[in-house]
Amino acid sequence: MSTEHKRRRRHEHRATPALVENSPLRNADPRVKLALSLGLSLAVMLPLAQVATALALYTLLLLWARLLPLAARQVWRLKWLLVVLFAVDWLFVSLELATIVSLRIIMLTGTFTLLVATTTPDELRLAFEWLRFPYRYAFSLSLAFQSLNLLEQEWQAILEAQRARGAWLPPQNWRALWRGLSDLTALTVPAIVLTTRRAWALTEAAYARGFDSPRRQAYRQLQLARLDWLLLGGAILIAGALLAWRTLLTGRLAM
Amino acid sequence: MRNANSAAILRAEAVAYRYADNGHTLSPVSLEAEAGGCLAVTGVSGCGKSTLARCLTGLIPHLYRGEMAGSVWIENLHTTTTSLWELSERAGMVFQNPAAQMLATTVENEIIFGLENLGLPRPEIAARLEQALTQFGLIALRGRDPRSLSGGEQQRLALASIMSRRPAALVLDEPFSMLDGDGAADLVAALAELTAQGAASVACEHRLEWLETLPGLRTLHLAAPHPPAEIAHVIPPLARKRMPFMLDVRGLSVQRGVHEVLHNLEFHALGGEVIAIVGRNGAGKTTLLRALAGLQRAEGVITVDGGSPNLGMVFQNPDVQLFNASVREEILYRIAAPDRELYAWLLKALGLERYEATPPLLLSEGEKKRLALATVLMRQPRDGILLDEPALGQDDGHKTQLLHLTRALAHAGQLVILTTHDLALAAQADRLLLLAEGHIIAEGTPAAVLGDTEACRRAGMRTPERRAEGAR
Repeated sequence: MSTEHKRRRRHEHRATPALVENSPLRNADPRVKLALSLGLSLAVMLPLAQVATALALYTLLLLWARLLPLAARQVWRLKWLLVVLFAVDWLFVSLELATIVSLRIIMLTGTFTLLVATTTPDELRLAFEWLRFPYRYAFSLSLAFQSLNLLEQEWQAILEAQRARGAWLPPQNWRALWRGLSDLTALTVPAIVLTTRRAWALTEAAYARGFDSPRRQAYRQLQLARLDWLLLGGAILIAGALLAWRTLLTGRLAM
Repeated sequence: MRNANSAAILRAEAVAYRYADNGHTLSPVSLEAEAGGCLAVTGVSGCGKSTLARCLTGLIPHLYRGEMAGSVWIENLHTTTTSLWELSERAGMVFQNPAAQMLATTVENEIIFGLENLGLPRPEIAARLEQALTQFGLIALRGRDPRSLSGGEQQRLALASIMSRRPAALVLDEPFSMLDGDGAADLVAALAELTAQGAASVACEHRLEWLETLPGLRTLHLAAPHPPAEIAHVIPPLARKRMPFMLDVRGLSVQRGVHEVLHNLEFHALGGEVIAIVGRNGAGKTTLLRALAGLQRAEGVITVDGGSPNLGMVFQNPDVQLFNASVREEILYRIAAPDRELYAWLLKALGLERYEATPPLLLSEGEKKRLALATVLMRQPRDGILLDEPALGQDDGHKTQLLHLTRALAHAGQLVILTTHDLALAAQADRLLLLAEGHIIAEGTPAAVLGDTEACRRAGMRTPERRAEGAR
């Protein structure tokens, strides 16, 4: 297999995930999933040994939710960031700090996956609206989430187009890497243009359908089902337990 | 401000506009659109059709900061003094690229978005949603992500989202430009129905062949902002004429996930040929070009006289390619010893002479496409060029210019392979490849392929004539 083919295959594995339709959390209320994610993310406050334990327990939750392979892929995508942070922290501070920072990033990535892989941007907007976010911002946030997939596709299209005209080729040596960095504009200018253009097209489309109307009435309303109540109870328990654990270990609530 | 003197739903009086950022202008235009009538606004690329569409729906002046002159009235409400949400209830707008106007993650929610903004009670929203899904043939697609739909389906959804709000007027900005034959036929049928129901519609479009099938169509022609560029007929001054060669494609397959986009394609192409690849949206046309350019992972063999091909590719969206500070810098980017004669020829042949010092981002869409073509040709790819939808957004004059250019390259021994929905352009090629569901289902001269009714039906290659015949 050629280098180019390997690069392409790697990229195909990196594609932004779609919704995991077979997850038991897929049909859960978005507010509950938001609470669950926020509750779980409190685990980052714990010291090293406890973060590792929380991470192991969280892995079991992901396994039940059929999200473990996806969460693992998301963490794998961050491997270079993790490697660099680990090396810098270890080199300049300590191995313990390097480990805990890495575990915290992995934990946060996992909690974010739980929410994003089972919730559509429309559902997320409903949750934000219920939380009394102004509609304008809730709507913009949902559009931003929708755009994540498109951003990656556009970035690849730009890379491809620039390579086709020899403007940005994968660097083969340090000199080529330096030259590549110096003409990063070949990638950033089209990326800014496309993003701005898409944002403007969406703005026009929204206003053309009365986005700023003061008469707006929401059609869909969220309702908690039995599973949602259970999960909500679980989220509150988890958050409470994590805060208590932290207080017990350190004698204080704040970080 | 109200104007009670006119029965027209949409009325523009000497409306003109000048953009604040790039100085592009719309020269004064007056028009009226009445209930049950359809007005087609035509004109060359850059004459201001899209700007006029935005003036007619109030997006200009509410969302833009340029200078507007004249007046526009929607159901006797002046667009300058009425809020945009009130105007949007009376005049709906369908934009050129349906994919870029999708705001929700399901077809249902896309329609509901506009209905919520009308402040309707829930039962009324539910009733209108069902009606719109039925009327525009979207029932089976109601749970789908709008971005996963075909171009034709997206355009139907865009229409459903607007028409479910029951505006008195509908304005469409180049609605046919991204549609294949089936999608265009569906859109014309939907427009005919809406017009029969009493809506006033204005379609800004330079492909009139589809709109002309609508009964009682009126047309308004906008004047060109610049005289058309002189067309260069001469052979391009390429460094040397390419010796005869053959592009050989054997067993070409492309898999994307579980979906096979191209299946075991086999064909040959000779240097000096102009080949058009046609087929409906999603048939695999762009994927085939990307594979030929070496940008797509594929199974099979693609060779030129036994070696690797060297074909330059011009992408459908020029914005992914352009980034320099001027047209001149863009064309000469990273070319160590530029051929000055070729550079001058390209500027002339592509009508870019007057823009040499202009930043590419300030050019019109058609001009940007021609500039992207110039950047690729300046690099003198050895075997020829691949053009992805080069006719998109180009008026007839520029299409003729493009045809002359492709012919000139072919005379110089280069291979030109292009994808297009425009059958008039495809008919000018030496050979057509008809793609359907990843297979080449017909190959030959344009007359032979376009005369194969069964193959054209399979590939969604409906034409206005065929639609009219079908209706009869």
